[in-house]
Amino acid sequence: MKRTTMPFGPQHPVLPEPLVLDLILEDERVIDAIPTIGYIHRGLEMMVERVEYTEMGFVAERICGICSFMHGMGYCVSLESIMNVEVPERARWLRVIWAEISRVQSHLLWLGLGADAFGFENLFMHCWRMREEILDIFEKTTGGRIIHSVNRIGGVKRDVSDSELAAIVVKLDELGTAFDATARVFAKDPSIRHRMSGVGVLSADDARAVDAVGPMARASGVVMDTRLSGTYGYDRLDFEPVIETAGDCLARVVVRMREVTQSIGLVRQAVDKMPKGDGMALETKPRGNPTGEVFTRLEQPRGEVLYYVKGNGTKNLERFRARTPTFANIPAMIKLVKGCELADVPNIILTIDPCISCTER
Amino acid sequence: MANPFRLPMVPRALRNLVSRPATRRYPSEIRPRFDGARGTIEFDVETCNYCMLCMRRCPAAAITVVREERMWSIEQLTCIACNVCVEVCAKKSLTMSRDSKHVHVRSEVGPQGQRPGHEEWHGADPALTAPVKPAAEAPTSAS
Repeated sequence: MKRTTMPFGPQHPVLPEPLVLDLILEDERVIDAIPTIGYIHRGLEMMVERVEYTEMGFVAERICGICSFMHGMGYCVSLESIMNVEVPERARWLRVIWAEISRVQSHLLWLGLGADAFGFENLFMHCWRMREEILDIFEKTTGGRIIHSVNRIGGVKRDVSDSELAAIVVKLDELGTAFDATARVFAKDPSIRHRMSGVGVLSADDARAVDAVGPMARASGVVMDTRLSGTYGYDRLDFEPVIETAGDCLARVVVRMREVTQSIGLVRQAVDKMPKGDGMALETKPRGNPTGEVFTRLEQPRGEVLYYVKGNGTKNLERFRARTPTFANIPAMIKLVKGCELADVPNIILTIDPCISCTER
Repeated sequence: MANPFRLPMVPRALRNLVSRPATRRYPSEIRPRFDGARGTIEFDVETCNYCMLCMRRCPAAAITVVREERMWSIEQLTCIACNVCVEVCAKKSLTMSRDSKHVHVRSEVGPQGQRPGHEEWHGADPALTAPVKPAAEAPTSAS
């Protein structure tokens, strides 16, 4: 049969960011897909050569506008482990709380984008209305809606009072109740099931073979969550990763929906367990310049992120590298796109939760 | 929740028909920013001792300080509102106001990419402190 090559992107209604796929089609069926990235490469990793390591955290959190808190946290955690800085207890808990709130924010954003991709604009508006309340929490506690700038090497810069934390938990509980009604729509609506169920099935073996990470792997039944390693305070939280076994697009939606509820629970637990009181130490100042190298793993909303930091004893780092979850999930996406119908390609691409700014840095 | 059409969005959509909109009528109705929100840097010329620490620590290089001329200036559109200068200022001359930066229209931006009006300066007139001039006027607290 005659083959056609169809460009998908960089401008496409479902893509918020420029990703290019050259789809090779036989009739309406996709035979192969060749990805191209590099449209929004900004060279942020190169900036370590001229930006001091204390200032690089502000660059790191600008890698991505959705998981900006986690990028800032990952950079600071890496430097702390090189420089042997002990982070105060309350600062560590605050980081966990902000990280989990940002996971809720990111998943609500993605659920909205997913709804928009299959044409359910009403649901898209609902998800983003809920996300707005999370952004208000961020503005109240960190000072910024998207770029938070609270992480410093050695701790966090702002405290959140105990009464404010209690108010946040109440607010998140209300949000969780409202979200349950929306989650019912995602799970029960016949049009959504029709578009999502059984589409783009990734088996557990395939997920391991192509090294899928995050919700993508968990939706295929692979138990993989960096939070299970118990670092950064997660060892003291009652935590079970969300696992689905179907591996299709609907399973990936369900994993993210359940993670929203789970993260709200984790915030509640962290607020209960963190040391109480005003005026506690939040920051330990690092001394000297970093020497040595380290790998750091964090569980971002989209999956596992890997930072490599190498210091050479000067105030500029020698190397800073971030392997972001979308980069790890692109091979899985290509695997899913092969053999599917052309009309399902947008859905499949959206369900890996692509963040191209992260990928290209 | 008995729904004859098995369309779970219908009750919510009907409720939306009679409820208030979630959005504001933005330009006429503006939500004040929360306390502690990071907006614009404000400078107090009376207390500053021109130690230049804010200039050295600014990650975006938005602040320029000339100690000899007693001149302090900030490029507001380059500033990323990270709060570092406020944290390092020993004399507490810098504060973070919660109001966001002004939006500049095209007519305020010069033809060659100059941005007059975006730079806020305190001290001697920048035109007088330009390097081509032999000496600056006596320190004044302009603006």
